[in-house]
Amino acid sequence: MRKILMGSVMVLMIASMAFASGSQEPAPAETQGPVEIEFWTTQTQSDRLATIQVLVDTFEALNPDVTINVIPVDENDVSTQVAAAAAAGTLPAMGEFGAETAVALGSEGLLDIDANTSFIQGLGADRFYQGALRMVGDGSGSYYAVPFHGWIQGIWYRADWFEEAGLQPPRTWDQILEAAQYFYDPDNNQYGILVGTTAEAYTEQVFTQFARSNGAALFDGDGNLVFNSPEMREAIEYYAELAQYNPPGPQTWRARDYYLQGKMAMFFYSTYIMDDLAIEDVAAGSLTSDNFSDLQGAAFDPQLVENTRLSPTITHTQDAGYGVIVSLAAFQQDDPAKTAAASRFMRYLFTPNAYITYLHMAPGGMNPVLPEIASNPRFLNDPSGVYSNYGAEKLEEITSGLANIESFGIVDGHRIEAASVIFERQIIPQMLYAITQEGADIDQAMAEAEAQMQDVLDSM
Amino acid sequence: MANGHAAAVRTLSPKQQEARLGWYLVAPAIIIIGGLIIYPIVYNVYLSFFDVSLSGDNTFTGLRNHVRVVSDPRFWNAVWTTVIYVTFSVMGTVVVGVVVALAMNREFPLRWLVRSIILLPYVAPVIATVFAWQFFFDPVNGLFVHVLVEVLGVVANRFNLIGNPRTAVIVAIVFSIWKNFPFAYLMILSRLQAVDETLYEAAELDGCNAWAKFRYVTLPELYFILGSLVLLRVIWNFNKFEEVYLITDNVRVLSIYTYLTAFTGALDLGRGATLAVIQFILLMGFILYYVKRVLKW
Repeated sequence: MRKILMGSVMVLMIASMAFASGSQEPAPAETQGPVEIEFWTTQTQSDRLATIQVLVDTFEALNPDVTINVIPVDENDVSTQVAAAAAAGTLPAMGEFGAETAVALGSEGLLDIDANTSFIQGLGADRFYQGALRMVGDGSGSYYAVPFHGWIQGIWYRADWFEEAGLQPPRTWDQILEAAQYFYDPDNNQYGILVGTTAEAYTEQVFTQFARSNGAALFDGDGNLVFNSPEMREAIEYYAELAQYNPPGPQTWRARDYYLQGKMAMFFYSTYIMDDLAIEDVAAGSLTSDNFSDLQGAAFDPQLVENTRLSPTITHTQDAGYGVIVSLAAFQQDDPAKTAAASRFMRYLFTPNAYITYLHMAPGGMNPVLPEIASNPRFLNDPSGVYSNYGAEKLEEITSGLANIESFGIVDGHRIEAASVIFERQIIPQMLYAITQEGADIDQAMAEAEAQMQDVLDSM
Repeated sequence: MANGHAAAVRTLSPKQQEARLGWYLVAPAIIIIGGLIIYPIVYNVYLSFFDVSLSGDNTFTGLRNHVRVVSDPRFWNAVWTTVIYVTFSVMGTVVVGVVVALAMNREFPLRWLVRSIILLPYVAPVIATVFAWQFFFDPVNGLFVHVLVEVLGVVANRFNLIGNPRTAVIVAIVFSIWKNFPFAYLMILSRLQAVDETLYEAAELDGCNAWAKFRYVTLPELYFILGSLVLLRVIWNFNKFEEVYLITDNVRVLSIYTYLTAFTGALDLGRGATLAVIQFILLMGFILYYVKRVLKW
């Protein structure tokens, strides 16, 4: 491990120096004298922290006047830690956390919106996937934070089956339903699609994409509850119809094993599935024929990664993707030298070598927000060998989902706090469970869910 | 004054002093039970009269929570599910316990080994056994459905026994019987071993066959142990949460319905407290009736 780390440091130092000398990057003149800043990151695992430290060491070697202290902070503690630091006047210069957190902190005035916006403009706003930028926008053209990486959810499907059947890739509502019907063959233990129908978060994640593709929302930009709309009803009706082509009974993400076993044509999942599809050791963690040797068809299928494609965007009245963006942000600082140092470190993290090293910490989980990185040959060459199984074209297709990501929680640059509470309390999944599994009446179930959402609003 | 006090202490008889020492000795237990059991129960009853807010601003609502709970069909559905679950799981546990105990009371080779192995379901961690059961009943890969559909051809279509809200209660009952029968078996076996052999000999002389011996000797001997066993299992199964919730959250027994009401959806802690109170009253009512009628205390 140490050897690998040392090797990485050497490669990075050499590559970065070559980059620094070869590029037209101007020597930053804003800071004078040594400056020490804190970088809060939500990557708390020790191997990831080691990689981040390598990047920091490299940056410090190139910028001897800047010292960076990396502080790991648990994702769930960011808000409280930031609040405490703000009260004590010890906000870090820079942090890395989810876009929803960034919007919440930004709207409370804790982030340096000017610094983050000018960073994005300096890098070129058009170089980012626009969906990723929307997740951190304040609704008036400025940005609370800088999108850094993210995961995408979409429909992973058997491209070979689709081709053989002469079906279009599952993108529109009609195409998805047609394919689900076509491949649903329970007599042969084969199922059309996996959408969530249990009362848990996965169900809401899948449903969000359908609802947003029909323009349905929980709240408008002013925070008014607009859940009970014809668009929402239509999306629920469609979802319930689609759920008929699921494997029997209530289902959740665990049923992805059926896809890995060749028993399902389509399933909703995040890009975290990429290593399961490509690497046998990882897939072995899933249910395989080793457990049930007398059952047919389950061993690792080395062709599966080649035969699988992702349809990251669903289209009905509009395009909708689903994903989670993690962002970098400069905090409000009294000392402009610290802000400048943070911007320089951010700029460094976006240089191709540093950026790709960062993303390779979690292949599948950390996707680039810059399209140009997805096609970079170095990006394809991750240490665990996941991406090389996909190739540049598929990787671009996969990451392109970041162009259209939508959420119930961020509307026109406002973070709707109640949407997070509704998510936590599983109001939508419970409604969908009642409709798809208990045969509840759609209008009645929607009215009940609306009443529960209203309760949430009243109690806030 | 000091002298008077000293005189009072001196006048305590040895018996009174012993009683006082007794109170000192049980005081820690009383404080702990009071703080950890009595206080939460009283506080829970108190909360059931309020609209509880997490911010601490509780509003007194009188009996509104109670009326809302009792007029909700989902509550009666939960009561009904609980009655079914408790009745069948307790009956099954006791019947299987009796049968296994009778078998284990006979001499056969390696009996010591079989007696230990039978305890496995009871001592195995619930989460591990739950996963095994979920794999077993999996609709696509599970052995159960595979045998019924592919091997025997008894059923035409694959089905999700554990996930379907209509059939999940059956799995929960069977799981409870399987998990808890060793406890019943242990208690019954220890009583069986204490039954006087001469009773059976006398019964044989009276011309009793095996069934009659069981009916007129074994069963009366087991009466009170079975009575206590049923009482204990009813109390435990009535309040059972983890065994049911882990295997499937589709069986809405009272404990799960209370949890879902209190901590998910609208997060109604007042109504959750009311449900807990009603659950407590139902159980206490049963216990009082049962102790008087069946155990004849």
